[in-house]
Amino acid sequence: MNITNPLKLLLSTIILLSSVACSSVAPWERGNLAKPHMAIDPYPMQSNLRGHVYGSREAAGAISAGGGGGCGCY
Amino acid sequence: MLAVAVAVAAIKRPAPAKNNALQALTSAALVLPGLVSSPVKALENNNVDFQYSHYQEGERDLININSGLAPIEVDTIHLRTNLSLADRIKFAFNYVQDTWSGATPVTTAPIVTGGNSPILVNTPDGITTVGASPIITGNIALNQDLLPLSQFSSGQAAIPNTQTVLVLSTASPETRNQVDIKLGYEWDEAALDMTGGVSVERDYTSGFGGLIGRWDLNQKLTSLNAGVNYTYSKTSAILDHDATPYITKTAYTDQIEIRGGSEIFHGNRQDWASSVGISQILNKNAVLDATLSYINSSGYLGNPYKVVTAIFVDPKQIESGQEVLSGNVQALMEQRPDKRNQVAIGGKYVQYIEPLDAAVHLSYQFSHDDWGINAHIFEADWAQPLGLGWTITPRIRYYSQNAANFYQPYLTVEQAYSQQAVDDQGREIWVDASNPDNGVEYVRDENFNLLDAQGNLVDESELNVRSKTIPFDASQLPDNFSSDHRLSGFGALSGGLSIAKQFSRGIGLQASFEYYSHAGGLKLGGGGEGAYADFNYYVASAALTVDLSAAANSISHNTHHHHHDSDHQQHMHYAPAGLRFAHMMPQADSWMIGYQFMYGSRGGGMRHGKNSASDLQVVQNGCSDALPCRFTPSDMNMTMSMINIMYAPTDWLNLMLMPQFVSMSMNLRELEGRPPPRLDVHEHTGVGGHETGGVGDTLFGALVDVWDQPGHKVHAGLMFSAPTGAMDLEFRRIARTDGGLVHFGMQLGSGTWDFLPSLTYNGMYADWSWGAQLSGTIRMQEENSTGYRLGNIFQATTWGSYNITPWLSASLRGVYTWQDSIHGDYNGFNAEAGPMDYPDNYGGSFLDVGFGLTARVVKGDLVGNSVSFEWLQPAGDDFKGYQLARDGALSVTWNFSF
Repeated sequence: MNITNPLKLLLSTIILLSSVACSSVAPWERGNLAKPHMAIDPYPMQSNLRGHVYGSREAAGAISAGGGGGCGCY
Repeated sequence: MLAVAVAVAAIKRPAPAKNNALQALTSAALVLPGLVSSPVKALENNNVDFQYSHYQEGERDLININSGLAPIEVDTIHLRTNLSLADRIKFAFNYVQDTWSGATPVTTAPIVTGGNSPILVNTPDGITTVGASPIITGNIALNQDLLPLSQFSSGQAAIPNTQTVLVLSTASPETRNQVDIKLGYEWDEAALDMTGGVSVERDYTSGFGGLIGRWDLNQKLTSLNAGVNYTYSKTSAILDHDATPYITKTAYTDQIEIRGGSEIFHGNRQDWASSVGISQILNKNAVLDATLSYINSSGYLGNPYKVVTAIFVDPKQIESGQEVLSGNVQALMEQRPDKRNQVAIGGKYVQYIEPLDAAVHLSYQFSHDDWGINAHIFEADWAQPLGLGWTITPRIRYYSQNAANFYQPYLTVEQAYSQQAVDDQGREIWVDASNPDNGVEYVRDENFNLLDAQGNLVDESELNVRSKTIPFDASQLPDNFSSDHRLSGFGALSGGLSIAKQFSRGIGLQASFEYYSHAGGLKLGGGGEGAYADFNYYVASAALTVDLSAAANSISHNTHHHHHDSDHQQHMHYAPAGLRFAHMMPQADSWMIGYQFMYGSRGGGMRHGKNSASDLQVVQNGCSDALPCRFTPSDMNMTMSMINIMYAPTDWLNLMLMPQFVSMSMNLRELEGRPPPRLDVHEHTGVGGHETGGVGDTLFGALVDVWDQPGHKVHAGLMFSAPTGAMDLEFRRIARTDGGLVHFGMQLGSGTWDFLPSLTYNGMYADWSWGAQLSGTIRMQEENSTGYRLGNIFQATTWGSYNITPWLSASLRGVYTWQDSIHGDYNGFNAEAGPMDYPDNYGGSFLDVGFGLTARVVKGDLVGNSVSFEWLQPAGDDFKGYQLARDGALSVTWNFSF
């Protein structure tokens, strides 16, 4: 299995981000980021549920959600 | 053409890539730098959330018949808590229970094999289809290109028919329970979480544990995380005894145990998941999150209920040049590889839209595995606050994958499925039919005489011989094959909406809906699976969320309510955990939210009145004279989750709403001394047990203050029960026979509108409190829609409680319960296999003693919370009819007043 490409992708993402990160955002400027709907996952229980259903209906590797150790049988 | 119809059990498929690790890993990825001390994080610090959801699949297209089979549906409840145990110590707990049932594909077959055979029933309106049973073996005709031919009456030319169809089978309800916890420690710029949990189903169990670390840098603009998780899962599946004679299991013989006439498939798998991720604040309005994950799976990665249709064509026919070939259709257990490596990389970008106060979430994920599956996921959400605490989030998602390299709708095998064994002289070999593997072989000469190994003529009339057959050569099959359409090439488009309303004092409501459409034609770049496997589903959810910190703040800040810590203690529940309607809030505009979990267990033999009952007594007296009992319950378990929402509009009135979610499981055993089985009647054996679960009845009503003196209070309860729980659940068909309605005690609700009056006295002095309650359940209808009503209930209980410390009290309680037997009977078919199917074997009078403990939080962030436990121990039973003895019941109650 070839995993070098995704690794390269991640590394380049990190490098890219580090360069972007230079534009510093002070803690008092993070008000918008702190809004509930700006969270990476605003509804964790819903994502969990959807992830569980997707996981039992699709073959993709689960990265964004999981439903637990069950068989995901339905 | 002979087609054998069988019913095949439920699909169980260990989801290829699902792993709890990733959930945990992702939640690590969610911890955003810079937000650690923000309100968002505070929200997550102390909360209790409860979600109910319903998954409903649309009917599958079976091409040539309208099956009427109920599609898959799933009811799920999820209780989730996050707590700060100390400043830097975080604890999370999740409980998930799901119950599913319905028709699911077992294989794919050329439609000419028959596929699904309709089950027809004569009704007053004519013949109707009440179901379909899967056909997984038989014979078909093929042309020289090995394409299946449509069958016509003789004289007509057969034409190739390449249409395939899903072959479905229905499952009785099955339940899964999962508990997982997380314990974490936070440093100023780092965190470490330990996770662990178990998931238990009748035929699949897994345990998992992991570690997740987070490291903030760059003034918390950047956050790195990494995690690892290990899952061990065990399959222990009873193969459907209706189907198993028609399934070829050669590849798995050493994994199948034969016990008590059942074939039990054993397998286990291990999953190692690891991930690394980064979250980055890009600017004051944008965040990016990226994660790379790797999963290594090994062991049994298939599904013991899935078969692959294989058409065996004897190569001699092909060589002979005949125009129409005969194919022997067989069903082989699917064979997936026993290893899988998956890599996934995903990113999510969140952008704040200042003018609209909205947030756009865009994500993409790519995954690749060594089964040859590449998958792409695109997702976009628009989160739009509308004011007054409302937020609406439309969402769209597109998914596409290509097929696994071993996926095939069905196999065509150029081999005979079995053939006559011959010796080196070309003579047929025959063996002892009753013991074919004893090594003794005979041969037939050209005159059809039977000769033994020494060439002597054998008297056939003294032997029971049959010809020896050689099965197909499994090594010539592909190494791996599966026709599970989830491994096929397809695309899926889904869209939905989430609506959230945040109330004051930390209470929130959330609802969501999503419609999903799976289609071969939606695959990226085309070339997906045929339309026969297309299907749709929707998922709807509703959740109640409680932010304990915000609610507790509302207590301390709301002078209007005169809430003080000392005051608050008096609000606390002194009543034992198993008791309902016993607590009234004395202050106007107060709220209480509670969750009660109850577990009840029965077992330890059959009882009649106050005595134990022998098997023979149950056989003779537990059922009817016409149909004596054949089976009896050996054990039964029940769980209930109840949400309790209580509001005091005035100081003398409390309004209550209590939705309930229940699950039941029962195992049966055969009674000794039972009448012998009748050959023409297929018995409902209960092998493997039964499960039901889902929404129960919903309670609502009011508590009214009747008398209030210092230290003494009396209140009346006027509660009602709405029949939201099902009472028409049925077992699946077995061997084309209706399974019938499940036992009365396993239905989820009463089916009637019920009135629940109660009168409660509470007294308290210093560290002591005590009370008494009279309560009843009166069915307000003669019968429910399936023809019966449960018995009325009367209960009297009294208790005393002592505060051992300001935060801990212990209680002792006595309970007397009387319940009438069931009135009426099912108006539909019920198997009447044992005493649990007869209305007279319900009810009785019961004495219980309850031992309870209550812990309260009296100060700090979590003030207002209490957790109570109570074990009810049976102390005297007088059963009506013949019933399973009672073991006791555990109640765990969490209450939060604010």
